[in-house]
Amino acid sequence: MAVSVRSWLANEAGKHFVLMLWLAANTWLFLDTYLLYSTGQQYHYLYQMLGLGLCISRASASVLNLNCSLVLLPMCRSLLTFIRGSHTMSTRRMRRLLDKSKSFHVTCGVAICIFSAVHVSAHLMNVVNFSASFSEDFPDLNLALPGLSGVLLVLILLLMFISSSHCIRVCNYEIFWYTHNLFIIFYIILMVHMVGGALKYQTNTEAHPPGCLRSSQSLQEADDLDQKQRCKEDAHFQPHYPQTWLWVSGPLCLYCVERLFRYIRSSHPVTIVTVIRHPCDVVELRMLKKNFRARPGQVISINMKCVSCNSFQCPTENKETFGIHLRIVGDWTEHFAHLLLPQPRAALEILPVVHQRRYPTLYVDGPFGSPSEEVFNYDVSLCIAGGIGVTPFACVLDALIERWKSFRLQRLYFVWVCRELQSFYWFAELLCALHEKLWKENRPDYLNVKLYVTQKDCQQSMSELRYRPLAARLQVGRPRWKLLFDEIGKCNKDKRVGVFCCGPKRISRTLHRLCNSVRSSGATFEFNKESFS
Amino acid sequence: MGKIEWAMWANEQALAAGLILLTGGIVGVAGQFRGWEFASYAIAAGFFVCMLEYPRSKRAKGTSVERTGQYCFTVCVKAFGPVTRNYYVRAFLHAALCVPGGFMLATVLGCVCLGIASLIYLAAAVRGEHWEPILPRKDTRKPVAESIKSPPQNPPPRPPPEIRRKQAKDVEGAAYDNPIAVTDE
Repeated sequence: MAVSVRSWLANEAGKHFVLMLWLAANTWLFLDTYLLYSTGQQYHYLYQMLGLGLCISRASASVLNLNCSLVLLPMCRSLLTFIRGSHTMSTRRMRRLLDKSKSFHVTCGVAICIFSAVHVSAHLMNVVNFSASFSEDFPDLNLALPGLSGVLLVLILLLMFISSSHCIRVCNYEIFWYTHNLFIIFYIILMVHMVGGALKYQTNTEAHPPGCLRSSQSLQEADDLDQKQRCKEDAHFQPHYPQTWLWVSGPLCLYCVERLFRYIRSSHPVTIVTVIRHPCDVVELRMLKKNFRARPGQVISINMKCVSCNSFQCPTENKETFGIHLRIVGDWTEHFAHLLLPQPRAALEILPVVHQRRYPTLYVDGPFGSPSEEVFNYDVSLCIAGGIGVTPFACVLDALIERWKSFRLQRLYFVWVCRELQSFYWFAELLCALHEKLWKENRPDYLNVKLYVTQKDCQQSMSELRYRPLAARLQVGRPRWKLLFDEIGKCNKDKRVGVFCCGPKRISRTLHRLCNSVRSSGATFEFNKESFS
Repeated sequence: MGKIEWAMWANEQALAAGLILLTGGIVGVAGQFRGWEFASYAIAAGFFVCMLEYPRSKRAKGTSVERTGQYCFTVCVKAFGPVTRNYYVRAFLHAALCVPGGFMLATVLGCVCLGIASLIYLAAAVRGEHWEPILPRKDTRKPVAESIKSPPQNPPPRPPPEIRRKQAKDVEGAAYDNPIAVTDE
């Protein structure tokens, strides 16, 4: 598929621009510091003693300063949610950039690891050069490297980096979470890393220009009298004050305030109103919390006191209560469902006994912004869901049922791909209700539903009368994305179509490529991805 | 709490520690620093740890994702049987291997990382985990049913001759009501 320039610009330009800015900032900082230490007058003697290792270690240190301050900012999720929500502060382009905040955090993290390796290697070189060229002339300059804090920093960084690999995040999220919270120790040690004053610079470069002749030295050649001056006084050295705190303290305070705010906001437990078991291992949980306001499409995080783990779902709001759908697929969700649902009773009882249901204490952190909030801000949106990935769009449908006229959205294409037929029953009622309402209000073209069931030997259909609109729009087999895109493009020429995908990586990669490829029709597809990991 | 698989984290940590030990050893030998003999040991130890830790274990629950090209390593590690299967052995082995790395600056980081990996392996062993090889699944073909091989011996059942004659003469009488409702959708 050939890439279309206009589509590529619509989808990729923003984030590549930010990446270029970040690379430029890092490069400029590296080169500037390198040149300062290699050509600066006040570092002349230091440079002579340590050589290349000095310049590289200092240059990588300033790049590290920048990245350690930037890495915290994308993780201030409440602040980003606020920016996303206030339309006066942000345009759609900026909100789409906010979707990439986690990727930016990872990029800065990787840069920190790489430059730490460079910094450590350069310091090892410095150690060698220092022991080789221990200066008798300038005893003030002899360095005692702050090795211990450096080793501790690298150790914590390695622990954080190794436990944030994809397989560990997917299998054991708690390990990732708890090791990543070691960042606070990392930052504290980072700020005291240079407190020993190991790096010294010369303070009296006017009185003692570097390379001048000392009074004790005799003139070798007569010509040198003009070029080299006599030193008026001996070189004085002073240690650098640690500068890392200037870079890092702002974002660190901001992040700590953010965490405190989230902690206070989630300190009141929620009341569980109902727990409903749906087919295909899905549990719906409706909850009540004071002063909880979520916009459709936002994400919440659940914390169970006895289990202390987190999960991320999208809430569907229904005036007072808000609910989530979660699929039982791992240890945490199994345990959670086990605590919530009544156990199947083996023996038949003649009289129903009412048991006082003891639900676990639940805390909810959020709501946080997510890409799905943008569905309403396009004229035409295409929502593609894979299996349980339909939950972000369920709250979109919910909001549309209440007030579809108040949004900018004029047409919604809803594609839902599931493995089993039973999965469609999770939101069949909601889909049919919305379809019915829109037909009654004479907007039949507003909602276009396409359901796909991929199980090969699926013979049945949804036989209930009330689900007839869905049964009519159900197809067996995988969707053919190119044809779908062509059809949507033809019906919506010269419009910007927002494509929202929440599903397996395979589907989102195909869709991303399709959004960037050449279109015979005039529509531009803007790709937005939702992911939970 | 969900059952955390400590072994998976220990494996990642040990592999990274092996690589760091190897790198530190190479730097130490290349620079000919004081104590470079420890660096040469670190190269050998790092290489050995990488070989041992490269094949991922099969998860107790859930899908196991294997590393690229790990099959040959799996076979080698599996060949040692209970020695490599048991995580207590791995914990003590890593603890012993990491000690000489602590005597030289270039390898001290690898030493500490391997020590941490050894502790996590100990935790995994205490929880009763063990190493399982990820082997390719042998797809057993479903046995072909006997009836497929031989063609049917009898013709399909037909109604008795009187009714067949009736159907040929009286087409309208042969009509019947479809038991399943057919709607035009």
